[in-house]
Amino acid sequence: MLPRRDSIRRAGSLAAAALVVALTAAHGPVALAAEGTIRGVVEMRGRQAATEPRASSAAMGMPAHRQPELRPAVVYLDAAPRGAFEPDGSARARMDQLDQAFVPHVLAITVGTTVDFPNSDVTFHNVFSLSKTRSFDLGRYSRGHSKSVRFDRPGVVQVFCDIHSHMNAYILVFAHRFFAVTDDAGRYAIGHVPPGAYTLVVWHEGEVRESRAVVVPDSGGTVDAAFVVR
Amino acid sequence: MACLAWVRPAEAQHWPDAPVSLAGGHVLVAGDVSATFGSEDPGWFTYTDYQTSAIRRARAGVTVEVRASDRLAFLTEIRAETGAGASAYAWYVRLSPFANGLVDIQAGRIPPVFGTYARRNYPQDNPLIGDPLGYQYLTTARPDAVPATADELLRMRARGWRVRYSVGDPAPEPGVPVIAAGRWDTGVQVRAGTQILEAAAAWTVGTLSYPLVRNDNSGGQFAGRVVWRPVPAFSIGASAARGSWLADAVLDARADMPSGRYDQRAIGLDGEASWGRWLLRGELVSNTWTLPALDAPRIVEPLTAMTGYVELKVRLSPRLYVAARGDSLRFSDITGSAVTNTWDANVSRVEIGAGYTIRRGLIVKASFMNNRRDGGRVQTSPLAAVQVLFWF
Repeated sequence: MLPRRDSIRRAGSLAAAALVVALTAAHGPVALAAEGTIRGVVEMRGRQAATEPRASSAAMGMPAHRQPELRPAVVYLDAAPRGAFEPDGSARARMDQLDQAFVPHVLAITVGTTVDFPNSDVTFHNVFSLSKTRSFDLGRYSRGHSKSVRFDRPGVVQVFCDIHSHMNAYILVFAHRFFAVTDDAGRYAIGHVPPGAYTLVVWHEGEVRESRAVVVPDSGGTVDAAFVVR
Repeated sequence: MACLAWVRPAEAQHWPDAPVSLAGGHVLVAGDVSATFGSEDPGWFTYTDYQTSAIRRARAGVTVEVRASDRLAFLTEIRAETGAGASAYAWYVRLSPFANGLVDIQAGRIPPVFGTYARRNYPQDNPLIGDPLGYQYLTTARPDAVPATADELLRMRARGWRVRYSVGDPAPEPGVPVIAAGRWDTGVQVRAGTQILEAAAAWTVGTLSYPLVRNDNSGGQFAGRVVWRPVPAFSIGASAARGSWLADAVLDARADMPSGRYDQRAIGLDGEASWGRWLLRGELVSNTWTLPALDAPRIVEPLTAMTGYVELKVRLSPRLYVAARGDSLRFSDITGSAVTNTWDANVSRVEIGAGYTIRRGLIVKASFMNNRRDGGRVQTSPLAAVQVLFWF
């Protein structure tokens, strides 16, 4: 499976690089063209397993069995047109720590967004990330306290708790606004997309799973793109 | 100017950074592998009950948890270690009779209830490389052989790695630590409590210093522990244990063996405080072993060992932390025919170190420790070690 995904990633990256050149050259100001919407459903085939607490023979009690949780996908344009990069620097998002899980499990934001990490559990948590995009360590803090991190570079940030090793989450930081997180039914919609040819990418649990070319016509409208991720 | 914005795959995706879940979550597998390269230890300060130095060993462990249901599970931990081979460190059934999870019953080769370090004796839970003295240092006490006189005991001072006594097993063997962290006892444990207050009690066939799978005497050990966590930032625990520790073979070794109970008794206090990037832990244990008073000069008082440590860990960055531990192990006096001295040589240790996380689950640690002992051929021993650890 991994070589296939790697090849998809490579292909996606090359396509994205080509598209950047193409889009930059092809598109002028985008405000004059009609905008479109790319929408669809990402069908996840396979088990949506939550990370279980680490098997520990030293644990004094029975750890609670974790119910399968929603592990949404993120659908995004691999490259975006001129004029799409408008981080306002004042956006805020929230990733809670609740029942020894990060909520939501996947957060997609734009560059310049500040994410709050409140602790809503009775126990301590210690949120940290070793990701190159943004590494941080918020230290231990208790219920009712919150700490924040601003994300200034695009990329993937994998988030962990230093105390509870089964807690993990993803933050995807985009340089543009053309992305969507799937809902409970796997639906997504990316709106206000200028006319043009794009590569649409599906990301799930740390990997680019699928990608395909889509075209938003000059007349705008809705473009459907469904995915099946196994 | 356009900006490329595709998303790179997460960095850790090709490394297991979570337990492996099988059979629909009913089987969980976790593991750790560590290799430690340290100085030669001519004073035997860091040797464990497996006769292996804690700073010169490789270790691999696999823990498997089979969950029959949310209330019933079987756990086993197989550990392989240089000098000790592979063995089942733990194997037990865990039962939660009530749905609220406030009560657990564990039976088999179970985690100890006394203190805290024996349950976190894993490379990923130990910020340093060495173990606390009370959980590792080999004293001159042996459960399968005893000295006939105080002089015989005093002659063994500071020679815990190779002890020979005249009553019981005549072969030279290592003594025991106050609490054996290197293996677990066999019995039944009941735990009950909440996030704020928790209590556990256990009956096992061995004792703190000499855990067993099969009983070697007619008695067992009762141990209990209470933990109070008024706030997440602070916890304090109290532990106690009492058990028959001398093997029947020792008691049968002489016809004039005095009747009586020959127990290991221990009481302990432990605490943990943390906030932000700071984590402070400490334990204090008072332990006694009772020996038969045989020949003059007799050993009339129980042999007492007091041990304690304070450990501090500070995270300097997401990847880097520093840690330090101050440690002491002190013994009671005993009077021989010519001298009064501690029955074993007092020991102290200071260890400082750091850990660097290369990536999730892959850590390199380095530490330096200085050991001091009030006796023996080697009385001071500065030691350095590096450890590479992978866990999932």
